[in-house]
Amino acid sequence: MSDMNKMATQTIPLKPAPLPVGQRLLENGLITAKQLEETLVECKRNNQEAYLIGRTLVEKGLITQSELLNCLFQQFTQERAAHQVEPGVAAKIRFKGVEKSFDGRKVLDGLDLEIPAHKITAIIGISGGGKSVTLKHMVGLMEPDKGEVWVDDNRLGTISRQQLNTIRKRFSLLFQGGALFDSLTVSDNVAFPLRETTDLSEAEIQQRVERSLKDVNLAGMEQKYPDELSGGMQKRAALARALVIRPDIILLDEPTAGLDPIIEKAIHYLICDTFMRTRYTMVIISHAVPAVFDWCHHVIVLHQGKVRAAGPSMDIRNSRDPVIRQFINGDLDGPIQFI
Amino acid sequence: MSAFLQRIGQASLILIQEMGRMFLFLVSVLGTFFTLPIRGQNILRQIHFIGIRSLFVIVLTAVFAGMVLALQGYYTLSKFGSEALLGQAVALSMIRELGPVLAGLMVTGRAGSALTAELGIMRIREQIDALEVMGIHPLKFLVSPRLQAGLIVLPLLTVIFDVIGIMGGYLVAVQLLGMSAGTYFGGIETAVVMHDIYTGLIKALSFGLIITWVCTYKGYYTQRGAEGVSQATTSAVVLSSVLVLVCDYFITSIML
Repeated sequence: MSDMNKMATQTIPLKPAPLPVGQRLLENGLITAKQLEETLVECKRNNQEAYLIGRTLVEKGLITQSELLNCLFQQFTQERAAHQVEPGVAAKIRFKGVEKSFDGRKVLDGLDLEIPAHKITAIIGISGGGKSVTLKHMVGLMEPDKGEVWVDDNRLGTISRQQLNTIRKRFSLLFQGGALFDSLTVSDNVAFPLRETTDLSEAEIQQRVERSLKDVNLAGMEQKYPDELSGGMQKRAALARALVIRPDIILLDEPTAGLDPIIEKAIHYLICDTFMRTRYTMVIISHAVPAVFDWCHHVIVLHQGKVRAAGPSMDIRNSRDPVIRQFINGDLDGPIQFI
Repeated sequence: MSAFLQRIGQASLILIQEMGRMFLFLVSVLGTFFTLPIRGQNILRQIHFIGIRSLFVIVLTAVFAGMVLALQGYYTLSKFGSEALLGQAVALSMIRELGPVLAGLMVTGRAGSALTAELGIMRIREQIDALEVMGIHPLKFLVSPRLQAGLIVLPLLTVIFDVIGIMGGYLVAVQLLGMSAGTYFGGIETAVVMHDIYTGLIKALSFGLIITWVCTYKGYYTQRGAEGVSQATTSAVVLSSVLVLVCDYFITSIML
């Protein structure tokens, strides 16, 4: 292993990999069958879960962090190609003609969209285009002025608060600013939803918190308070809190905004990895274009309060729509005018 | 002229709407008092924050309030040769009026403003939204313990204020002006009846509700970032203080 790779192993956060990634490492000739088997036995002996095999291989110096991440990503891309989203099939969340205005300014203007179940869906669009507002409608934090929001068979706004809370417990939302509780340590912040909404024992909670913080490379920061962390670290702590409860649907509002490129990449892999292990329905708002097309199944482009385009990520990436092209290329000239 | 009337009408409508919203907020919070789970630890934390941490300012204010009351009272009563009534005057003023009112105003300034700012910051940083998404009722989790703590703490702080205030009066009357301790305390024993104590405690209970209600309401509905937090804090302190005095008048007129 070169010095560069060793350094990468130290700086890029270590993350768990699923067993198929171990097989892929084998197929790619990065490890031998014996090494894989030995590591599996070692994991079992140490009472570790099988998906930690990738991390163990990195820790043993058999593969580099980037080799592990590349295999993980290959696995994700292959799976994505095999499971394209059919429009309207098993939609988890549906918006029907949703309108929302703030101080007379229409932010959502008859929005119709569908979030497919068990897929990663990215919502992209210009800033102030209503992406975060859309996300808040999904969990009933905002009510539409007009139109309907459905989660499975429940129409939000027509159900009781108790029913809404039951639905909300299936969600996890990473807010744009993190929304960590200032009076709690990082560890307590991550443990908070588990303590308040589950019957898990304190030992189980601590175990899950520890693993969650390790996943986002915040091990050792447990006793820090949010204001003692950088913006990027706060974001990662909030991501750990969003993932720790193992929800059904995860909504991530700009999970990588303000992060350095290495951590940004690691977070993208973490999202793919989490998805492959859990098959959660994920909705992500991101400005990380074009990278977002690589790690999402489905992309929705919001423009002027409506869906401009929605479909498989590669279709959107190759779209000839001038608005989408301008947005992807970041051109100043085009149909989107700022001045 | 019509524009002026329109503005008055608009302002009145906003005021009525705000009052309605405040009332509904209070009803919703009171409703959560009787729902499970009861978060005893949260209530204790708020009792510590509103009560224990206000003790110093309460003691300090009470001592000087009692001292100045004794000094002024002695000066006035001596004109009529009634200095012996000083103990009664200090005790009745403290127990019926100054204790609950000044304790209420001190708590508004020290803890009420902090309650508004804390909730306001939680609102603008989306922490209240985060609670909602977790399926945790923010009124139950954040506001209810503060209101319950206010209801428990204000009567206790008022009792402390009364006792310290009377002792402050004792310092001036007995130690400084040379009045006998027997005359000072003897007068109190004969003049103060249970009704006076009830009146003071009912006021304290009402002020506890008003302060925590207004301050949590203003914080909970904070808007527009840091400026919004500062506006909410100012208006919470002003409104709470005014309502304490208004409420004091009405309770006095009913219970006199």
